[in-house]
Amino acid sequence: MALLGGAACFFAPQAEAGSCCGGGAAVTLILPKDASAMIDTSLDVERYDGFWTKDGKYLRDQPGTDMSQYRLNLGYAVRLARRWQASVSVPYVWNVNIYPNTSSRVDGPGDTMFSLWYEAFDATMCRLRYVEISDLKPAATFGLSLTVPTGVSPYDGVKSDDITGRGFYRLDGNVLLDKTIYPLSASLFLSYGRYFERPVNREVDYVQPYRKRLGDRAVGTLALSYETFIDYSKFRNRLTYTAALSEVWEGEGTINGDRDTTSGLRKTSVAGTIAWSTLERRWIVRLTWSHSIMRDGWGDNTVASDIYSLGVTHVFN
Amino acid sequence: MYSIKIALCFLLILIAGCGNVKNDLSPSGDDKRPSVEAGTTGPSVGQNAPDFTVSDSLGNSITLSSVIALHKGVVLYFTMWCPTCDSQMSYILDNIIPAYPDVVFYAVDYVSATFADARNAEVSNGFAGSGFIVLADTAGTILNTYNATMGTTVVIDKNNIIQMNENFKNGSRLQNVLGSLP
Repeated sequence: MALLGGAACFFAPQAEAGSCCGGGAAVTLILPKDASAMIDTSLDVERYDGFWTKDGKYLRDQPGTDMSQYRLNLGYAVRLARRWQASVSVPYVWNVNIYPNTSSRVDGPGDTMFSLWYEAFDATMCRLRYVEISDLKPAATFGLSLTVPTGVSPYDGVKSDDITGRGFYRLDGNVLLDKTIYPLSASLFLSYGRYFERPVNREVDYVQPYRKRLGDRAVGTLALSYETFIDYSKFRNRLTYTAALSEVWEGEGTINGDRDTTSGLRKTSVAGTIAWSTLERRWIVRLTWSHSIMRDGWGDNTVASDIYSLGVTHVFN
Repeated sequence: MYSIKIALCFLLILIAGCGNVKNDLSPSGDDKRPSVEAGTTGPSVGQNAPDFTVSDSLGNSITLSSVIALHKGVVLYFTMWCPTCDSQMSYILDNIIPAYPDVVFYAVDYVSATFADARNAEVSNGFAGSGFIVLADTAGTILNTYNATMGTTVVIDKNNIIQMNENFKNGSRLQNVLGSLP
């Protein structure tokens, strides 16, 4: 579980621009085995750079277009029992969009995520070295996450640049498998979520009511890490380098029960993180760069972006 | 438990401070469209369509009232050349425009600064020579007049009455409206 503080920000990659029906999703926090609580804050800077069409062709934005979203994420995780923990993460979102003939700046709360996790192990599963096959057994953590639409959505009487959330409740089932044999770690995070259908009676203005549901959503992230130690005078610290590959997929939604074939998305991202932590991992500072592969075929029907994230985590015993 | 209570209180305060959010936390399916007085001009369904004159992406001047006089209907689709716009415009192009040859379809580009920019966007996004005529709404005139945003789709009939003004969805609503044009 050594890297989870640093890797947590991988687990909720953004898939839609704030000006384009999305943005503002919270991150998932998971508490280390020996901790009682954790506070996490991070600042994400997401710069959008082109998009993929429905058939996977990558197109650049118009010259003179500069779209960014800034997110301040506040998170708290607490241990409920020996194997149970819960967390909440609340983002605050700023959208800054500049077009050739106009610009906009808005801010507001994003969508909030509540999570409940069950650890299917009793003791830390990290190993100092490989001795026998049982040393390869990973730690498994299972979770449920509920996204609550606390952001400003397209159904709140606002225009597209003002959106800071998606407007739907979503329930995700999550699995995290991770293994550390010092100094290497590997983790696999899988998530599958379903949006709940809702009535809509308002877009920019009130409209003829209808029912809408976004498509099911799946996320898979594979991360590999290497940990090293550094010494500052008499204090010993850890540095962890992580590389991750992430795939986000969202199926087609429905309008009044009928498929919306213009919806759905897919995106592949790569990410790198450098995390500094104290020896006992009570403080973790991490810097992450997540990058969409801006070529044909690496996404469908969504935006491409670079996300720069600086996070600080404090873990309580 | 004390820390959990603090976190929950913080969240409730945050949520309570956001008026718009109530629409999403407890969404309503009630029809709250205001009644519209016939004969007035405005962006709502049932009102007379506000007239406008803008340049298309080739520099030609387009006046709504002149176009309506020659067609059974006019469709305005508001685009900012984004993935959602691309997907919905492609759908309209493939599935709707061929079925309504007596209706004119405009893609209203409200983010380009000049008609030449709008032309570049039209070409680079693959819509040059398509069934859409791109309007360069460089001053945001049509966008503001019709209270539109990305994906807004407006249908105006030959009597200059607005029959639809809402986000494009899966195409069925637009086809229903076009199919019942007088």
